[in-house]
Amino acid sequence: MTDNVTLTINEEEVSVPARTLLVDAARMAGVEIPVFCSHPKLDPVGCCRMCLVEVDGPRGTAMMASCTMPVGDGMVVRTDTEQVRTVQEANLAFILLNHPLDCPICDKGGECPLQDQTMRFGPGISQLIEPKRLAKKHYDISDTIVLDQERCVLCWRCIRYLEEWEDKPQLGLFERGNDTIVDIQDGRPVDAKTSGNIIDLCPVGALTNRVARFAYRPWEIERTPSVCMHCSVGCNVRLDSRTHQLRRIVGRENMQVNDQWICDKGRFAHAWVNDENRLATPQLRKNGKLVPVQWSEALAYIANRLTGIKEKYGADSIGAIGSGKISNESNYALQRFMRAVIGTNNIDHRDGGEVAALPTGLPALTELMKPQYGPDPEVDTVVLFGLDPSEELPILDLHLKRAILRGGVKLIIAHARKIELTRYGGPYLAYLPGGESLLVSRLLQAVQGTALSDEEPAIQAAAKLLKESESSLIVYGPMAARGENGPGVRDGLEQLAQAVGEGARVAYVGLDGNAQGCRDMGVLPDGLPGQFPLDDGDARSRLEALWGCELSTFPGYTYKQMLDSQEMRALFVNGANPATESPDWSASLEELELLVVTDLLPTETAQKADVVLPAQGWAESDGTYTNLERRVQRAPKAVTDPKSRAAPDWMIFTHLAKQMGTHWPFSDAHSVTAEITRAVPAYAGLTWEALGDQGRQWDSDSAPVSGASAGRTLDGISETAFGDAEYPLNLVTGTVLYDGGTLFSLTEQMHGMAHGATVTLNPADAAEFGLDAGSAVTVRSEQGNLDLTVAVDAQVQAGCAWIPESLPGAPVGALLNGSFTQRVKIERR
Amino acid sequence: MELGEFLKGAAEIGKAMGVTLKHLGQKPVTVEFPHEDIPIYPRFRGRHELRRYANGLERCIGCCLCEAACPTEAIYVEAAENDPDAPLSPGERHAKVYELNLLRCVFCGDCEEACPTEAIVLGHDFAMANYERKDFVLTKEELLNPGMPKVIIRPE
Ligand code: SF4
Ligand code: SF4
Ligand code: SF4
Ligand code: SF4
Ligand code: FES
Repeated sequence: MTDNVTLTINEEEVSVPARTLLVDAARMAGVEIPVFCSHPKLDPVGCCRMCLVEVDGPRGTAMMASCTMPVGDGMVVRTDTEQVRTVQEANLAFILLNHPLDCPICDKGGECPLQDQTMRFGPGISQLIEPKRLAKKHYDISDTIVLDQERCVLCWRCIRYLEEWEDKPQLGLFERGNDTIVDIQDGRPVDAKTSGNIIDLCPVGALTNRVARFAYRPWEIERTPSVCMHCSVGCNVRLDSRTHQLRRIVGRENMQVNDQWICDKGRFAHAWVNDENRLATPQLRKNGKLVPVQWSEALAYIANRLTGIKEKYGADSIGAIGSGKISNESNYALQRFMRAVIGTNNIDHRDGGEVAALPTGLPALTELMKPQYGPDPEVDTVVLFGLDPSEELPILDLHLKRAILRGGVKLIIAHARKIELTRYGGPYLAYLPGGESLLVSRLLQAVQGTALSDEEPAIQAAAKLLKESESSLIVYGPMAARGENGPGVRDGLEQLAQAVGEGARVAYVGLDGNAQGCRDMGVLPDGLPGQFPLDDGDARSRLEALWGCELSTFPGYTYKQMLDSQEMRALFVNGANPATESPDWSASLEELELLVVTDLLPTETAQKADVVLPAQGWAESDGTYTNLERRVQRAPKAVTDPKSRAAPDWMIFTHLAKQMGTHWPFSDAHSVTAEITRAVPAYAGLTWEALGDQGRQWDSDSAPVSGASAGRTLDGISETAFGDAEYPLNLVTGTVLYDGGTLFSLTEQMHGMAHGATVTLNPADAAEFGLDAGSAVTVRSEQGNLDLTVAVDAQVQAGCAWIPESLPGAPVGALLNGSFTQRVKIERR
Repeated sequence: MELGEFLKGAAEIGKAMGVTLKHLGQKPVTVEFPHEDIPIYPRFRGRHELRRYANGLERCIGCCLCEAACPTEAIYVEAAENDPDAPLSPGERHAKVYELNLLRCVFCGDCEEACPTEAIVLGHDFAMANYERKDFVLTKEELLNPGMPKVIIRPE
């Protein structure tokens, strides 16, 4: 290859791509050069001088920093001479001058590059007799990260990560010379959503994990490669466990998904796994109280009641709710039970049948990624429609920021709030909840050139960007496509892509960790496994042969319909908590003749159940999860609580099916994965073994073709009336990363980070209503009311009230009561 | 039986009796254990103890190095952070749980060798019989309050 250069390292000739750094070239040649500041995912700075090597140059042999020096043709490099060794020893002695003798109490001990390099390249003796410099120890720079300034070797890695990837320069170096220390800026804690990555990057124990503090020693933990389930990016992680407990989570490299970064929720919020309130034994309601029973009794009771209800009211009086938070295996078993054993299509999940989705997710995350050394993103323009990656998909947010800053990607944002990513100055198209499809059609007209001449400049700018783009990607999320408006938004966006031309594509991304997998498994009232319509002949005959049954063609109830309907007699709820979403649902769950809840924790819904079954979660049983780019990934069992009698969902449903007279051939989770490969054509070949530890994307060509939308007219456009006298504000809701959900809130150390129970208003509205930040108010809608505190932020449009979902103790469901849009008024308390 | 043989036998018996009689007057070398103490050499390695500093703080900092050094996995340590207002040990870290299973221990002394703060030491108590297996797992409480405290640290 022409762009390769050949150089000599330690008398061996090596050929590497041009512009490779010497330190990387040496690594490729199998030669180790010790480094502290250099990192393969950060820009070189050359500040620690650990990597000096001998390079022959025109002016003789010189000591050069190999981490900042690109290779040159014919370069002669030596890393093993006496001089190099002397310099390495001297340099380590300097680095250790002020380094405390903390190893025994330092969380990095045992996996510390400074320890390792001192052993390998250090002088072995110390000449220091003077006292060491003192600085701040156990200093919390955020609720999750502890800084020890004495241990810092001033390598700039943390500072560079926050600048180069997060674009949030929240750490810096202060003072000079011997007194130089790393510190936060202006006393403000580090709050970047992926700040925990600096712990992994720090080559010493200066930055350590506050949540896992002193909970592990590197030599005593078991390491399980897994994936994160907090959101649909599906970052690769490693679970470190000891004595049946999850002790710590660190990032794991997967260049197709998360590079090597993970967000703080994924890293720190794991206390729920070993929470003492985890359900550990089946419970049955007897005389109005849930009492612990044997599995056999619980399952026999359910089977018996189900048979009775089915005989009396028919199969369609029974329904099931799956979840984007549980594995493919769990969801598959649940829907197979409903379809094959009960004989109904009443199966759905939150953000399932009510959301007008598209089947394949993102084309590929790599198309949006800009790794340190690698090509620019393939996509040049991204439209985010009703999606806030900073709160919902933090690592996608990280990729996008990097793609904008270093990959030249243009960003267009359509959202009800002026979300954080609008800081990059791309066109921001505001809409009010319910006005999504109207905005789509205006954008479409602007692209087609039929817009009114006085159309908003932002829309015109967006249309211009789209028309100039060669490869654009329009990504929308569930918030934009829920309810009646959903199909209009989806079809409109597809038409928009067609109008833009060749290179434009549309993708739907769900938010929950397994949102995509849940759809793929057929946890949809109108979709069989593989997302095939109920009347698809091939899919039906394939599944009927596989399951040995006849499938109902009658479309089932959606999530909302199941909870609203008075005809439901029995309901299974797996990994969902509808009781908190609406007061009406909470009441109707109590009316059911049989409510079976399978969950990890005693949720509000579980409190109402007739039978509560304890499930094994993500860390306790083998399972596969499909992320937002259709990548099927493994999350193997990492811990098992020996005292718990919880079982994986697939096993529960296998036994229940047996009680009802059907034998399923499942002996372990992998056999369920294997059956999925036969039930879902797109998953063919994706067995447990084949997935490996980097996962595999399913082929988007195997997805069912969604009905051509071009011919459909954009109906369902509803203009939202802007305020009315009684309820002047539009309620805007959505997901925040640090909410009051159980999976987050059980990690005590993070409580200070949780979003407060607030309603956020635009400054103009706050002034108009005479409210200040901190005023105690009651928010009222036609459906109910909620006590909150006011916050004021220009991020919220005028005329809107922003109340995120699942705030601690303040469910916005009280105002929505199952609907998607509401108007509210605010009264002082 | 010949006379010669008889005399020879008598002489043998006499010789033996001589030894017996000689020792009859000497002090016994056996010890009436447990009524009497036995001599223990300074480097004897018996039941462990966890030491404290003179100011009462625990020496153990919960670093788990003894646990790592132990060839029989007899030690289990669980560390925790010190409450700055009421620290159990100097610095940030202490042992929340410290358990030592005497049934596994081979009294090799590696734990003592590994400890950076001379917290865990092997004492001189060797009488460790017990009625229940679980009583052989020494807790941190038992280790910190040994029945027979050892004062001298091993010379090496
Ligand atoms: S940073 Fe490394 S060398 Fe420094 S105290 Fe911690 S373990 Fe020891
Ligand atoms: S805190 Fe760690 S990563 Fe940051 S400069 Fe110091 S040693 Fe480097
Ligand atoms: S004396 Fe040896 S075997 Fe016994 S606890 Fe210490 S290291 Fe383990
Ligand atoms: S006894 Fe010594 S080696 Fe063991 S944990 Fe305590 S301080 Fe560390
Ligand atoms: S690694 Fe090259 S100067 Fe730090």
